[in-house]
Amino acid sequence: MGGGYVILPLLTSELVDKKKWISQEELCEYYALSSSLPGVIAANTALFTGRKLAGAKGAIAAITGVITPAFLAIILLAALLSEIVDYPAVQNIFWGVGIGVIALLILAVREMWAKCVFDKFSFAVYLVALVLALTGKISPAYIVIGAILIGVVKAKFTSKCDGREVER
Amino acid sequence: MKLYLQLFFQFFHIGVFSFGGGYATLPFLYDIAEKYRWYSVKQLTDMLAVSSITPGPVGINVATFAGYTTSGVLGAVIATCAIILPSFIIVTVVSEILDKFKTNKYVQGALSAIKPTGCALLSAVGVKLLVTSNLHISGIVLLVLFLALSYKKKLDPLFYLGGSAIFGYLWGKFI
Repeated sequence: MGGGYVILPLLTSELVDKKKWISQEELCEYYALSSSLPGVIAANTALFTGRKLAGAKGAIAAITGVITPAFLAIILLAALLSEIVDYPAVQNIFWGVGIGVIALLILAVREMWAKCVFDKFSFAVYLVALVLALTGKISPAYIVIGAILIGVVKAKFTSKCDGREVER
Repeated sequence: MKLYLQLFFQFFHIGVFSFGGGYATLPFLYDIAEKYRWYSVKQLTDMLAVSSITPGPVGINVATFAGYTTSGVLGAVIATCAIILPSFIIVTVVSEILDKFKTNKYVQGALSAIKPTGCALLSAVGVKLLVTSNLHISGIVLLVLFLALSYKKKLDPLFYLGGSAIFGYLWGKFI
């Protein structure tokens, strides 16, 4: 429960301590890599681990294991929800939960901000992307593509001595 | 059939472009809500709440939920597979070139711009949700209270969701 970040301690106890399938270092590396790749972090970590153990088949087995319980739980809840959603009490609860979701979202932004915005360059990128996302009718995918281009161009003109700065 | 193809394509492109874990899928889901009307922004908030209290990664859960709301169980299967397929391809490729990938300066450069962008996209969703949702004064007070509390102590997401659910129920019942 609770998504990506809750899963790391769980993976450590299951994969590293109990099954000894991969080492702690490998798990941390997969996790770090997964968070710099697109997609869901937990899924990426599972895919890396499965692949390491048993190739493509292992990856498929691992990802199926990660999503099946969640999939079934969501379908059940979704079906149940459509039955009860019109009751006033349920409406009120969801109105309240909306506030909780916004709070969680702000916390997620704050956490990301601490990790991702730390110098003039990242702050400038943040501002431009924010303005584009707020005002324009541009799909977020194009904003991400734009960021990739800017990052690559920046890397091209950054001398090797400054390499440390980007690695952070 | 056309709906299923659209569903696949939309969730596939989320899998390709959402950097930064769980909530990073949100800007894309918000975008889909505005463009395709498969679900409303209100429903998206509900989905997010349900996904947060269900086991498994939030990003995938929302995809499953969105697929189900759009076109039943088959839709859920399509959306879930579509959001994972890019990860599968990317992980396969990256596993092959692991060491080059980590040290490549263009990859590092791209990431240095992608990370603040992911943060900005999520901020924009936060702003949009704040503006569009019907919070009333009481909701704003609760939100400020939550944020003040979060500075004091790191709390489980369930605390915020549970607390706000009870608050919503009581508010509707007594006021």
